[in-house]
Amino acid sequence: MTCPPREGPAIQVEGLWFSYGNRSVLEGVSLEVPTASFVALIGPNGAGKSTLLRLLLGIVKPQRGKISILGRPPGQQGQPIGYVPQKIQLPKGFPLSVRDVVLMGRYGNLGLFRRPSRLDKIRVEEALESVGMASLAARRYQDLSGGQQQRVLIARAMVGDPCLLILDEPTAGLDPAARARFYAQVCDLQRARGLTLFCASHDVEDVAHHAQILILLDRTVRASGHPREVLKGRVVPDVYHFPSPHLHDVYHLPSPHLHTDSEQPGGQPHPGEGAGPKRPGGHRNPGEESGTASDP
Amino acid sequence: MMEFLSYGFIQRALLTGGLLGATCAVLAVFVVLRRMAFIGVGISHAALGGVALGLLAGVSPVAAAGGFSVGVAWVIGWITRRGEVSEDTAIGIFFPTAMALGVALISLSGTYRQDLLGYLFGNILSVGPGDLWFLLGLSGVSLGILALFFKEFLFLGVDEEAAKAAGLPAAFLNYLLLSIMAVTIVAAMKLVGIILVSAFLVIPAATGQTLARSVRGMVALSVASALVSVFMGLWLSWLWNLPSGASIVLFAAALFFVAYALGTLRDRRTPPSPLPPTRS
Repeated sequence: MTCPPREGPAIQVEGLWFSYGNRSVLEGVSLEVPTASFVALIGPNGAGKSTLLRLLLGIVKPQRGKISILGRPPGQQGQPIGYVPQKIQLPKGFPLSVRDVVLMGRYGNLGLFRRPSRLDKIRVEEALESVGMASLAARRYQDLSGGQQQRVLIARAMVGDPCLLILDEPTAGLDPAARARFYAQVCDLQRARGLTLFCASHDVEDVAHHAQILILLDRTVRASGHPREVLKGRVVPDVYHFPSPHLHDVYHLPSPHLHTDSEQPGGQPHPGEGAGPKRPGGHRNPGEESGTASDP
Repeated sequence: MMEFLSYGFIQRALLTGGLLGATCAVLAVFVVLRRMAFIGVGISHAALGGVALGLLAGVSPVAAAGGFSVGVAWVIGWITRRGEVSEDTAIGIFFPTAMALGVALISLSGTYRQDLLGYLFGNILSVGPGDLWFLLGLSGVSLGILALFFKEFLFLGVDEEAAKAAGLPAAFLNYLLLSIMAVTIVAAMKLVGIILVSAFLVIPAATGQTLARSVRGMVALSVASALVSVFMGLWLSWLWNLPSGASIVLFAAALFFVAYALGTLRDRRTPPSPLPPTRS
């Protein structure tokens, strides 16, 4: 399914305040996430990223300020929002299959009382196929590697046909190659379907190379704009208490979505280039199939 | 065996125990998934406060325990959802407080209540024809709600935030599950008693999980192990003159150890195959 074009931002936050007891977490946060864009939210630990996502999902309510998700208050948008968490924690040995996990992504579309139909099950297989996990559909979710589990969670988020995908540090704990594959895959899906992506992450380097807009949060929005512009100034090192004044040089940032030929097959950078940026769409070994999503 | 089955009180005990056991077994899948074993202990012990209130006020102890336990479960759920006190701390506050209330009220009454022992340790053999319909109705409603909302309870147990993002009414479903849990625990007091009911909310599902390869399989094995435990526990209790509640729980635990051994043996014989490569 391709998301229909809509006027106005997918997410709009105005003057948002939130505190846990006496501890203020968000102080007058205002931001906009344009429809069909990839916006990344960065910030140090305790900056309020997770709280902001919980507010957007309607899990907690703002103490002051306004939130609009697809033109409606959180939880009342009338259509499922895709959500990719850092991980899901199951009790050891719980026999939940990969297919079961992805099927849950259809429950929001089904509503209460209705059981999944044959069509829902077909959609699950298609979603698994789109992230290259169809061969592991019957496996226990717990038996998969961290990277494979994240791909299953993307499939679960996508199978409900959302037009907005919220990702909460989705690549925490993944190695650099798995992180690169993950972002390549979500960017492919975003472009193929016209999705809006809002991703909180500590992987400043990865998201800066894939996102169109970078928002730096530290209880309030400290900087916002094109990743290169945000990383250019003093504000990011100040917020992170990081000594380098020029993060855009540290991260070797190209303009977003430009093809670079510096990577060798296998996703390894040339010697001396460091971890290096990853292009949207990612690098693939010769002969590998494209991970671009088909419309499930 | 035929003599055992020929008594009316045994037939009533088997029928009630079977349905209560099956309800506990389905509920146990969610208790295991959501790591709610401690809340089961908390609610069951809080029920003692309700029983004491009922005995003193001269109303049905089961009805009083039902209302009291649902109230305690909701308060624990409400406090936990506010996020300022963790669930185990909330249970740790309400479980001993409600139980202490029960003990204090019974002490204040100044009389030793023989019937209290029945609530503490269960006496399924004392189920009369009147109780039978009440307990069957209660279990039937609980089982029906669990079946109706099975997929939603599963999603909430696996990933509550994603379930909320998908538009599921998480708060309503959480309170509903807590209510079913409280009502089932109170109904199951007759089966195994306040002290042992929490075991019946974990052991059958743990047995099922050890052998099952899917959630459906886990539910089926959990229910089967509960039914076998009720039947064999009652039979052994009748045969050796044992307390029925203890006998049922001991048999359920024995089944778990057998299932655990079988599961370990199976895993040794057929080690999991390596994950095939997946394309990116």
